Amino acid sequence: MKGKNRKQNLSDAREVDGSYDQLTGNPPSHNKKTIKQRFLRLLSCCQPSPIPTVSECNTEDDFELSTVCYRPEGLDKLQEQTKFTKKELQVLYRGFKNECPSGVVNEETFKLIYSQFFPQGDSSTYAHFLFDAFDTDKNGSISFEDFVMGLSIILRGTINDRLNWAFNLYDLNKDGCITKEEMIAIMKSIYDMMGKCTSPCMQDDTHREHVESFFQKMDRNNDGVVTIEEFIESCQKDENIMRSMQLFDNVI
Amino acid sequence: MAAGVAAWLPFARAAAIGWMPVASAPMPLAPREKRRTQDGFIIINVSGTKFQTWRSTLERYPDTLLGSTEKDFFFNEEINEYFFDRDPDIFRHILNFYRTGKLHYPRHECISAYDEELSFFGIIPEIIGDCCYEEYKDRRRENAERIQDDADDENNKEGVMPDMTLRQSMWRAFENPHTSTLALVFYYVTGFFIAVSVIANVVETVPCRASPGMIKDLPCGERYALAFFCLDTACVMIFTVEYLLRLIAAPSRYRFVRSVMSIIDVVAIMPYYIGLVMTDNEDVSGAFVTLRVFRVFRIFKFSRHSQGLRILGYTLKSCASELGFLLFSLTMAIIIFATVMFYAEKGSTASKFTSIPAAFWYTIVTMTTLGYGDMVPKTIVGKIVGSVCSLSGVLVIALPVPVIVSNFSRIYHQNQRADKRRAQKKARLARIRVAKSGSANAYMQSKHNGLLTDSPEQASKEAGQAFLSKTNLSFEKEHHHLLHCLEKTTNHEFVDEETYEKNCMEVSSVNPPGSRCSSISSQHGLTSTCCSRRNKKTFRLPNSNMSGSHAGSLQELSTIQIRERPLISNSRSSLNAKMEDTVQRNSEHPYVTSAIISIRTPPVTSREGNNTSDSPDYSQRNIVKVSAL
Repeated sequence: MKGKNRKQNLSDAREVDGSYDQLTGNPPSHNKKTIKQRFLRLLSCCQPSPIPTVSECNTEDDFELSTVCYRPEGLDKLQEQTKFTKKELQVLYRGFKNECPSGVVNEETFKLIYSQFFPQGDSSTYAHFLFDAFDTDKNGSISFEDFVMGLSIILRGTINDRLNWAFNLYDLNKDGCITKEEMIAIMKSIYDMMGKCTSPCMQDDTHREHVESFFQKMDRNNDGVVTIEEFIESCQKDENIMRSMQLFDNVI
Repeated sequence: MAAGVAAWLPFARAAAIGWMPVASAPMPLAPREKRRTQDGFIIINVSGTKFQTWRSTLERYPDTLLGSTEKDFFFNEEINEYFFDRDPDIFRHILNFYRTGKLHYPRHECISAYDEELSFFGIIPEIIGDCCYEEYKDRRRENAERIQDDADDENNKEGVMPDMTLRQSMWRAFENPHTSTLALVFYYVTGFFIAVSVIANVVETVPCRASPGMIKDLPCGERYALAFFCLDTACVMIFTVEYLLRLIAAPSRYRFVRSVMSIIDVVAIMPYYIGLVMTDNEDVSGAFVTLRVFRVFRIFKFSRHSQGLRILGYTLKSCASELGFLLFSLTMAIIIFATVMFYAEKGSTASKFTSIPAAFWYTIVTMTTLGYGDMVPKTIVGKIVGSVCSLSGVLVIALPVPVIVSNFSRIYHQNQRADKRRAQKKARLARIRVAKSGSANAYMQSKHNGLLTDSPEQASKEAGQAFLSKTNLSFEKEHHHLLHCLEKTTNHEFVDEETYEKNCMEVSSVNPPGSRCSSISSQHGLTSTCCSRRNKKTFRLPNSNMSGSHAGSLQELSTIQIRERPLISNSRSSLNAKMEDTVQRNSEHPYVTSAIISIRTPPVTSREGNNTSDSPDYSQRNIVKVSAL
């Protein structure tokens, strides 16, 4: 009885006190939701059938949008496609599914997860670039296959594979060469992750100078862009980079 | 917290591939790690109910019982399980916390039992998720109030405390008349005299039979003037004595004089004294008569005797804004209708509506549906307006009044809840910020520890380091290595806020604007790290993930909980101490488990070690130690 009164009182109060902004939370707009639901259903009919290995299940509720959950291909198939062992795939999937029960990561969740590792700075831009690099089929979400393919290249690939992947990350528009603007964007996103409180103090053009030195090192023919060959060649000549690439052997 | 997404750490480290080609400095070495493919099961037996989980799940929160080596105390070799003789139902929630990172409060559980379990397993209740936190806090508050009430009752039931002064016992007698018979007698006597005084005030205006020889009926007050005067004197004397006694007995006289009840007392007895002082002057007798009106305030003295009156007064006071709004809307309606009425009736002859203020009376009487009939409209327009006025009066007055009456209690409670929510939100945001800074600070702390191993140092520090490595967890090592790589990539270092501000201030004072600050501050940074090595502590707290209180930049409260670590004393007071000192001190306090709330620490405790000559006085740290929960 008491509980019922309280709930009723709450809704009454919301109507009575229009200016009572402490009572947050907009009432659910039922009309909008049902239209959206209907639209989605229509869309799913019109779409061609998805890849046979990915199974889709729709769970519909009155209150929520239909949730779609993806299931990845079988463990054996993934083991063939990547260079991970069964146990490693199991560990990876468990962690993946824990954070994303629906089976896919969208960009928001991705940014959220990544930001937890960098509490001091703003890692959202770099996370965005990463998301684009992992999402190979450009459908706006990373499934477990995308995730594990990317990881397989980085953690189990050859040095050339890794360099290729890094180049792919830097090349924002995927046109085969890195321009200065792209590099400046990437550099800024990396420096953003450091945040404000650094020693020495971060200047506004620190990242630009860093980009200049990078281009001096990488751009052999001084044409203002770095192609994949120049990139790989310069990286192979640099001992530091080669050594750092070997860090990834023991990550998992 | 990064621990919640521990499973994604390999991904974060893999993502660091984007930094490698652009790094301006060589990368640090990766932490040595044993192959972690053996992530075994761990079976926890709680009073017979078996729970099973991965070992790495429990290791996510190393500063709790299950995440640390403390659980080894509960390992039972015969059954090869960890056995806890506790409540399995509540343990379910605790284990879920490790799995999901969120702690929930089951509503059907007793709050004290839950609190006990939390404190046993070393989990601070502040991390209860948003979904359950409000309920948890409400129940805690109720429980605390109940305990407080019980304690108060105990205090009241026991007799006079032996060493209470006369003044204190008098005050107690006044405030709680049920404590002694004398107080009860006093209570009833004053109540009686208040009633007598009020009745006398009322009766003395009643016309009595005229005394023989007079034609007019006199009010009783004038006929038996002497009798009433004696009665009044007696009452006022009693009231005065009572007031003076209360004034003497009050623990804080200034506060007593300002309180409402004492003002009522003064107003009740003042007219009598003023009347005594004033002579029977014709000019001031008018004012004197007005003063007698104030005698009716004696009736308010009953509110000391009646709880209900006090509650009513308090309710009115708290709903003053709603009443004010009602009054305002009524005033608006009255003015509108009075104006219209006046102009409507202006034309008619011998109209009683001589002015708009005169029409106010008509409007009020009509809107409250009283309808005295002393003023009635005569024109047709006036009658129409009058009928509209009375109809709208029904609406304007009859509707809001019950709504407002019920709004009193509702809005009052809602306000309280909203304020509480807002206060908790601020505190919650503060806690989140603190936790974030905590994990960053943990990194910087371990960074200094890591630097130690690169350079030669005293043997004692190595010993500390060796011990420390046992408590280091691989997750933290890898996370810190990741952050270290980022530093190397950008050739900048993470620092905490006040060092950053200090650097910036120095830069602005030393350098001309526009030049790079890196040169000088890097130099300074170098010296500071050199100096800080000597000052900084030789081991780190195992729970620095959750602590976040180490930087002077802490603006809000945070809680850290120290488990029983043989080498770690009850705070970071050992920051400057040498190993031997800490060992000695720790042998005196072998087991400290308490929740510590550390308020904003002075900046001198920053780990960057501003001056070597400073020896921060840690005994002055304002650390407030409170019992766990």
